[in-house]
Amino acid sequence: MRVSFFEMEAPVEAATSYARDLQEYWSLRLHSNDELIEAGRDLARLNAAYELRIQENSALRGEIERLEALLRLPSFSEYRSEPARVVSRDFTTWWQRLVIRKGRNFGILKGSPVVFTGGVAGRVTEVHAYTSVVELISSPNVRLAAVVEGDSRPMSYQGGINSSFAPPMGTVEFMPLDIFASKIAPKRLVTSGLGGVFPPGLTIGYIVKADPSADGLFKNGEVKLDSRLSSLTEVTVLVPINPE
Amino acid sequence: MSSNRQNLASRSGNLVETHTTFQPRVFVFHFIFGAMLLTLAGGLAYQQLIKASSYHEVERVQNQRRIIVPGPRGNIYDRDGRLLVGNKPRFAVVLYLDELRSQFRREYIQIRKNYRAAGDRDVPTASQMEQIARATVVQHYLDRVNAIIGRHERLDATLLMRHFRRELLLPYILINDLTPVEYAKLIEQLPVNSPLQLYTSSERYYPYGSAAAHTLGYVSNNTEIDAEDFPGDDLTTFKVKGATGRDGLELQFDSVLQGEAGGAIYRVDPSGFRINPPLEQRLPVQGKNIVTSLDIDLQQTAEKALGDLTGAAVMMDVNTGEVLVLASKPDYDLNKFSPKISHEDVAQIEKDKAWVNRAISGVYAPGSTFKIITSIAGFRAGTLTPDSTYTTNGTYTVGNHVFHDASGEITGVIDYRTAIEHSVNTFFINYGLKTGVDAIVAEARRFHLDRKTGIELPHETSAMYVGSPRWKKERMGEPWFQGDTANLAFGQGMIAVTPLQMACVVASLARDETTTKPTILHEPNRPTQHTPAIGIPEDDYNALIEGMERVPLTGTARRWGRVDGLTIAAKTGTAQQNVVFPVTENGKTVYRNGTIELGWYVGFAPVDHPKVAWAVLVEGDVPDESFAGGFYATPIATAMLKRWLEKQRVAGKAPPAPDADKPADEAEAP
Repeated sequence: MRVSFFEMEAPVEAATSYARDLQEYWSLRLHSNDELIEAGRDLARLNAAYELRIQENSALRGEIERLEALLRLPSFSEYRSEPARVVSRDFTTWWQRLVIRKGRNFGILKGSPVVFTGGVAGRVTEVHAYTSVVELISSPNVRLAAVVEGDSRPMSYQGGINSSFAPPMGTVEFMPLDIFASKIAPKRLVTSGLGGVFPPGLTIGYIVKADPSADGLFKNGEVKLDSRLSSLTEVTVLVPINPE
Repeated sequence: MSSNRQNLASRSGNLVETHTTFQPRVFVFHFIFGAMLLTLAGGLAYQQLIKASSYHEVERVQNQRRIIVPGPRGNIYDRDGRLLVGNKPRFAVVLYLDELRSQFRREYIQIRKNYRAAGDRDVPTASQMEQIARATVVQHYLDRVNAIIGRHERLDATLLMRHFRRELLLPYILINDLTPVEYAKLIEQLPVNSPLQLYTSSERYYPYGSAAAHTLGYVSNNTEIDAEDFPGDDLTTFKVKGATGRDGLELQFDSVLQGEAGGAIYRVDPSGFRINPPLEQRLPVQGKNIVTSLDIDLQQTAEKALGDLTGAAVMMDVNTGEVLVLASKPDYDLNKFSPKISHEDVAQIEKDKAWVNRAISGVYAPGSTFKIITSIAGFRAGTLTPDSTYTTNGTYTVGNHVFHDASGEITGVIDYRTAIEHSVNTFFINYGLKTGVDAIVAEARRFHLDRKTGIELPHETSAMYVGSPRWKKERMGEPWFQGDTANLAFGQGMIAVTPLQMACVVASLARDETTTKPTILHEPNRPTQHTPAIGIPEDDYNALIEGMERVPLTGTARRWGRVDGLTIAAKTGTAQQNVVFPVTENGKTVYRNGTIELGWYVGFAPVDHPKVAWAVLVEGDVPDESFAGGFYATPIATAMLKRWLEKQRVAGKAPPAPDADKPADEAEAP
């Protein structure tokens, strides 16, 4: 029932999103020719800059591949990147979700990791015909195996109870006792790559507090997440090429 | 007219209902009904007002369950803060059965339907179908876990049924030994709100394996944990297994190490499944940590040097009595006890006779190391002086018994220092007999050789003794002979001590005092011990120490006893001990009496400013065979001293190099 409702609702939301894009287009058309020419020049400059960055990235990618080959490191070749626009955001205390404008029509798979420029964005929890639902890492329903950068011992990251407009936070459990972190000296938390879903080394956030658990076996900590999570407009879904 | 009225009146008696204001018979009914109503009202009031609390209590006990979770044990550290005993997390994946009630029911209905559809005559009972349904659902979840982590675990239906009967409130453990990678996979691939959850418990972890095994001790499972001040004593309680100390420090300080148990009280439904959230909850708290006086570097050095030998090594801080090394061999790997030791390992430990902490529980004749006590007794009695001499031919006859010097190489006129240096038995028999048994026994007792040291460890033996004429009469019903005194003078016969006691004797001697109280606990600024002085003139004391200084240089320990850069005062000893040993004859095991040799090496260093004292004992392993104990015991102490000196140098606390005029140079002479 819920899925059917969502399927009916999704085209409306997608149409709204397209209408918004159209609205932006017409708002731009209302500018004067001079403004448009100037904007065109800015765009050309920007494009040139991006071209340069693409070339640099290409060179860097080549360098990375060379180093990976040298060190026999695996690359993320098992994923296909699928950029997608954000259609809507749904933030409550209990879940923090995005709806993106790609679904089964682009081969999005349930459970696929979703990333953005700041690191991990979340995970696809529902896939519909033209849209997908992404549960953000700030949502308490998302849990993943993480490691502190430079360490190999896995710990459990889980989204926290975040109110709608509060800075997003998460929690970390089963942290080894010899790892110390504070607001002054935070530790970068990255994906472990051991869990079989997320590739290794993607930034989750920064551990800003670590206290020993009551049983003394581990530490529990607070993770500060990227504040841009609540204003994402575009994300990339890493679709497994050979899903199990 | 009047007749008409009369007619009416008479007719009205039949037709008109008449009422009387008082009817006694009705009153009886009023009373009965009133009494009944009162009884009902009283009963209601009694049940609602007076009995309400007891019914509430019955309801509470019936509908609530309590879970007690033990607190993790505290850690044990060595004196430098290195972890000797800690807790290691154990990851498990568990299934919360209370969340599967509807699935059990659905599966049960399906199974019943299938049997009916199949027309099977041999239909299981409802209870059996219920069990099949439960096992099917749980196996389904186990299959999901297997698929994620790539295992092929199968459900043990018997264990599951037992869990349902006895521990329904606790989560059911599907897999108890997840690797870090498996644990990571499950974190990421199990839904957060799944009935499958990851669960951590702790088990004891010994980073140094068998090092200081007897001192640290081990734990065993304990279900009798209790949560003090946690309510619900009267409720049906489920206890998660904890651990309790069984030996060593784990046993001695069990109450300190034991964590504070936590718990939760849940309301349960009529089937016994719990209803979340808990009505009351308290988290467990880890026990307190203990810092021992052991130095794990020295401990490992001693154990490595002991190798496959049977024996013990003790090293202690002369001034504070803090024990740096307390080694006993054979030993066992403490990690085998975690989570539970196997029968095979227990059998092996028993076969090796490794349970005994020989440093504190083994009693041995001290042999020639006891000549230190004989000397002090002689000095105090005035029968012996630093200038005393004795002319020996290598033998001494007392009654019908001929005593021999161990080496037989030293003959002629022997002075006191040489007697110590070469451990000349005949010299000490001569002066021991002159001093008398009473003085020697009194001196041994003054050094507390007849009693426990009181170290904070369990199972310290009380079997040590210093025999006297009275003691022998009481125990054996025999008189004391001169030969007994001769024997006692060089540490044989009616005396038995532990290696720890001998370490305390030399530590006391190093401070020129009579007793040392050993401790296994470390305090950073523990003050120097002060006990009554030995009470012999300085010349006498110096003569004894000079004799002991010669032992590792030119005396009985000259081969292995020297440590470059360190002055040492030491004494070797060899003793015989009666044993009963098994022998195989004609395919049968028979037991025979025999003797094994014991090798001792005790001492302290540096001589000028003593810091450490030690005692090493090595048991011979072949009965009735001479094994030159000092040959084995000396290198063990030397290894400990070299490591100790090395650490002192690193810490910038090394003692000054021996003076050129000291006997160290003399040692270079042939």
